[in-house]
Amino acid sequence: MSEALTTKLMERRQTSTRHLADGDRSHLARAVIVILCGCLLASMAFSLTAGASDASALSVLSGLFSASQDSLDAVSLRDRIIVYDIRLPRVILGALIGASLAVSGAVMQGLFRNPLADPGIVGVSAGAGLGAVSMIVLGGTALAPMIAFFGSYALPLAAFAGALSFTAILYRVATRRGQTSIATMLLAGIALGAMAGAYMGILVYVADDRQLRDLTFWGLGSLAGASWIKIAAAGPFIIVSLLASPFLAQGLNGLALGEASAGHLGIPVQRLKYVAIVTVAAATGASVAVSGGIGFVGIVVPHLLRIVIGPDHRYLLPAAALLGACMLLLADTVSRTIVAPSELPIGIVTAAVGAPFFLWILLRRRGILDL
Amino acid sequence: MANSHCIDVSDVTVFLGRKKIIDCAAFTAEAGKFTVVVGPNGSGKTTLLRAMAGDLPFTGRISLNGTPIDRMKPWQMAAARAILPQATSLSFPFTVREIVKLGVIAGRTGAGAARDLPDLALDLVDLAGFGGRFYQELSGGEQQRVQLARVLCQVWQPVLDGQPRFLFLDEPVSSLDIKHQLIIMRIARDFAERGGGVVAILHDLNLTAMYGDKVVIMNRGHTDCVGTPAEVLTDERILRVYDCALKVGAFPAPGTPFVLPHSVLS
Repeated sequence: MSEALTTKLMERRQTSTRHLADGDRSHLARAVIVILCGCLLASMAFSLTAGASDASALSVLSGLFSASQDSLDAVSLRDRIIVYDIRLPRVILGALIGASLAVSGAVMQGLFRNPLADPGIVGVSAGAGLGAVSMIVLGGTALAPMIAFFGSYALPLAAFAGALSFTAILYRVATRRGQTSIATMLLAGIALGAMAGAYMGILVYVADDRQLRDLTFWGLGSLAGASWIKIAAAGPFIIVSLLASPFLAQGLNGLALGEASAGHLGIPVQRLKYVAIVTVAAATGASVAVSGGIGFVGIVVPHLLRIVIGPDHRYLLPAAALLGACMLLLADTVSRTIVAPSELPIGIVTAAVGAPFFLWILLRRRGILDL
Repeated sequence: MANSHCIDVSDVTVFLGRKKIIDCAAFTAEAGKFTVVVGPNGSGKTTLLRAMAGDLPFTGRISLNGTPIDRMKPWQMAAARAILPQATSLSFPFTVREIVKLGVIAGRTGAGAARDLPDLALDLVDLAGFGGRFYQELSGGEQQRVQLARVLCQVWQPVLDGQPRFLFLDEPVSSLDIKHQLIIMRIARDFAERGGGVVAILHDLNLTAMYGDKVVIMNRGHTDCVGTPAEVLTDERILRVYDCALKVGAFPAPGTPFVLPHSVLS
């Protein structure tokens, strides 16, 4: 029995090696996606059980599945609250945001035909931030009708609007006749970032003390304060964009040949670009609204995956969602535990690891800017 | 119209910005024929091909198998014609096989044949065994042949459901050595003989005369003459269009080596 299994495994391995030599990486990519699914489950379980409180893995898990509340003593009731109302929403939000950051990075890189495009680097996150800050500071006054009408969706909607307008401006400035100039894109990103920073500075001046505290913590990027309410507000945006991304995959593959050739392959290029821009803006806007600017996930994750499974977006996009979720959960676990009982904003952790990685990409592929 | 199995270009004018690049161009590329477009640099060959591909706005009429192309959806055009651009640079490290497969998916060839198609096409362009190589690491000529394999996969059968399909080739042999020039020209020739249509932009007048059924010579944005190679390639016309006094069919002085593609032993 086990012998048959071993032979079968060997055969599969040989087939997959042969496919790799032929330049067919789809088998490898599928295997990586399955492995990443396992990694995501493991990192969710790990995040759920690790933390400042000593709520242990076993009691937490049994707490999750115990049906009746009557039989619970005070300790397990406490653990139950920690798990249900603090850690579980945080794990879910972390996974959603990690997935959305990585997928929006990958989609944006496909759209701009450039492995350096990332919402955080080219100013799209700054646009989302400007939208969110406007809503936080002006929500009681000028933008009060928005809050009255949209309720808890007002904040992610404002961030979405900011991200969408900044992506549209960026695309308009950096792309001419289907060709994106990388230098123009990065410089336009600097200008957009500076612009958003300036307007945010003005808003900070008019903010009151409570809003200031909100803004400071929010600006560093953090998953603290994750709650079911936040999931309900940001989740729909993220889930819709994650579900939309597979439909972009074949189009983005064609776009790698250039806009004209993509059109010749029968891809409706204009529609593809609009959908991609809205997808990126929705995912970035929602993540920025609930967690501030968490940088570098969108550039590190797709880059690593392209090295392993190649740039085929049919596999890259789902794999990026899974790996992004895993990486953000791990980063969040580090940020929660490294200075426990206090915690580090997660944006610091991702930037501390991601920024040197970004420099390493530049060092390794300096010719990337000549593309 | 008696025969709608063709690409028909009539009274086509194209502006790029304010400049008129194509001025009342007209010709027909029938299925089953190898039509070659020649002309000096800047005479509008590529612009005309881009208009025929549906990339540029134009006035006049371009129809593909009887249907005006401005009424066709991108996927309908993709099923009826494939286009080889002059050069293609990639933004991500795809393998050769992954690139060629993009053509298979666009052409809607049916699942059974699709699996072997990339290998057959790579074989045809003399790149057997290149599937696992990274496109960006190939030479210019190899990249051009990979793109041709992709384009061939898109319109693998020259005739599908009774409708001919078309190949547009923009300087397909510009960066190839003589052996591969001949291989590519034979592929195009064969595609036409099996009932498809080929429209190719070429600079080499010898290859044009040898393989072309029909020659369209362009001059300053208009189609100067359309006809067989013998009708089009005359001393007088070459002097007028290219501004270069050449003699058709003249041998060089004795002792000067010359190599014509016609001499190939097939």
